[in-house]
Amino acid sequence: MNSFAAALWAETLKARRSSTPLLTAIGFMLAPLTAGLFMIIMKDPERARDMGLLSTKAQLAMTTAEWGTFLGMLTQAVAIGGLILFSIVTSWVFGREFSDRTAKDLMALPTSRETIVSAKLVVVSVWSFAATIFIYVLALLIGNLVDIPGWTVALAAQTFRDVLATAGMLLLLMTPVAFIASLGRGYLPPLGWAVLTIFLSQIIAALGWGDWFPWSVPALFSGVIGPRSAQLGMHSYVVIFLTGLVGLAATYGYWRTADQTK
Amino acid sequence: MSYAIETDHVSKSFGSVQAVDDVSLRVDRGEIYGFLGLNGAGKTTTIRMLLGMIRPSAGNVKVLGQVVGPYGRGPWAQVGHLVESPSCYPELTVRENLEIGRRYHGVKNPNATDEIIEQLVLSAYAGRKAGTLSLGNLQRLGLARALLHQPELIILDEPANGLDPAGIVEIRKLLASLAHERGATIFMSSHILTEVDKLADRIGIVHKGQLIEELDADRLEEIRSLQLSIRTQDLAKAQEVLVSNQYTTATIQDSRLVVKDKQAVESPELIATLLVQAGMPPTHLAVEQENLEEYFLRLTKVNGGQS
Repeated sequence: MNSFAAALWAETLKARRSSTPLLTAIGFMLAPLTAGLFMIIMKDPERARDMGLLSTKAQLAMTTAEWGTFLGMLTQAVAIGGLILFSIVTSWVFGREFSDRTAKDLMALPTSRETIVSAKLVVVSVWSFAATIFIYVLALLIGNLVDIPGWTVALAAQTFRDVLATAGMLLLLMTPVAFIASLGRGYLPPLGWAVLTIFLSQIIAALGWGDWFPWSVPALFSGVIGPRSAQLGMHSYVVIFLTGLVGLAATYGYWRTADQTK
Repeated sequence: MSYAIETDHVSKSFGSVQAVDDVSLRVDRGEIYGFLGLNGAGKTTTIRMLLGMIRPSAGNVKVLGQVVGPYGRGPWAQVGHLVESPSCYPELTVRENLEIGRRYHGVKNPNATDEIIEQLVLSAYAGRKAGTLSLGNLQRLGLARALLHQPELIILDEPANGLDPAGIVEIRKLLASLAHERGATIFMSSHILTEVDKLADRIGIVHKGQLIEELDADRLEEIRSLQLSIRTQDLAKAQEVLVSNQYTTATIQDSRLVVKDKQAVESPELIATLLVQAGMPPTHLAVEQENLEEYFLRLTKVNGGQS
């Protein structure tokens, strides 16, 4: 077994034995479940009122119960919820080594620190994509159960591509989270960072500069402010890519050279 | 052949705090080296520099002949370590924690994990989650991880921490056998002098970041000074009598009177006579060797006072 395979085995074992994957999956499930509930309500508001799902005074948004709306909601939920959930995953994978004081045991090994960081990033990626695919499949099941009209295979395939692309963009934004978890030596600093970036992404998008701000781009891509924003251009994707690259370099650089006193 | 450990004028500061100051030491292969110092003396920082976890502010570190630095894989396949308090992945079992260590070290023998579990008397806990272990068993787990790849050099920071007396003896025997039968080099830090004294071939004493003394364990026995220990009914009065008779070093320590004057040590009968004449016959009178703690405190006091 080469050193990367050994590191990947170790990281996978830690993830499998942890309750964090289950909790993040449950958290992510809220997206299709909530979207499904909206579909039930929008399909038959009168019945929803009778069931107590809708207040008599409540007004529904100007949307219709159809697959396009449902899957659009899912993509948006991945863009917003994914930023939080992927950050939790990344914070756990990197920050736990400092919180549990095991980082020192990952030094002075024949398996290099870069190899260990790479294995951690692979686990974060697989974990995040698996959670995304899981909720996509769950959404399809819920949509069928609710019997939403307007199903087409082309729509489902397009949504799948959009959801994966959104998840991919979010993953690029996780490298700064990995760096901050390492630099801050625990869970809290990266989670604070995640909250800050979500907050800033809203404000900057509202100011009209979202296409230049990497943390706003996934939400704009998913159609949070309407159909995919015309603001987005190649520069938006380049900015995300560069952010991912800088985060990656910072994380590897930190693990390679920073003093490990904890 | 190169040294197992070689540091050349190594220093480390954290802001304005000088944690390690110009330490140069050499540890021969096959040697058991005790690294003694009070808490905060710079032991752990030195060990972290030996293991490449901390970069020195100045100086160089070589381990098993290789320069320690952030680049390259270094000598780590042949080094086992336990730094500070033992840590583990609490959600994994003892066996899984060690299995991670085995794979990270590239140990091909799949039985290595079970063998070290048996050697460290962890069999009863092998399937138990590491987060439920007592401090003593956690320390054993840390030692097991340090030893499972049969390293040529073992670097241990306070290895007796958390172990009960039987465990301390057991680990001491294990380390001694690793050094004497397998030729492993052991570098161990401790603030417990008697522990180091029982195992080490050579001792380095670090105080306020500086290596203030390095000596063979045998030599330590020789240089600890002799003293006369006295017990009598009224220690304060007895002290008064002795001081008035020019035995100026007479001090009360731990419910006894200790006299370090050369004449008192060489002719204790003179002291006995003096005390009998003063109406305070000694109930205990013995020439003793200064204990290690006293020697250590005397040495560190000379080198900058209490820390």
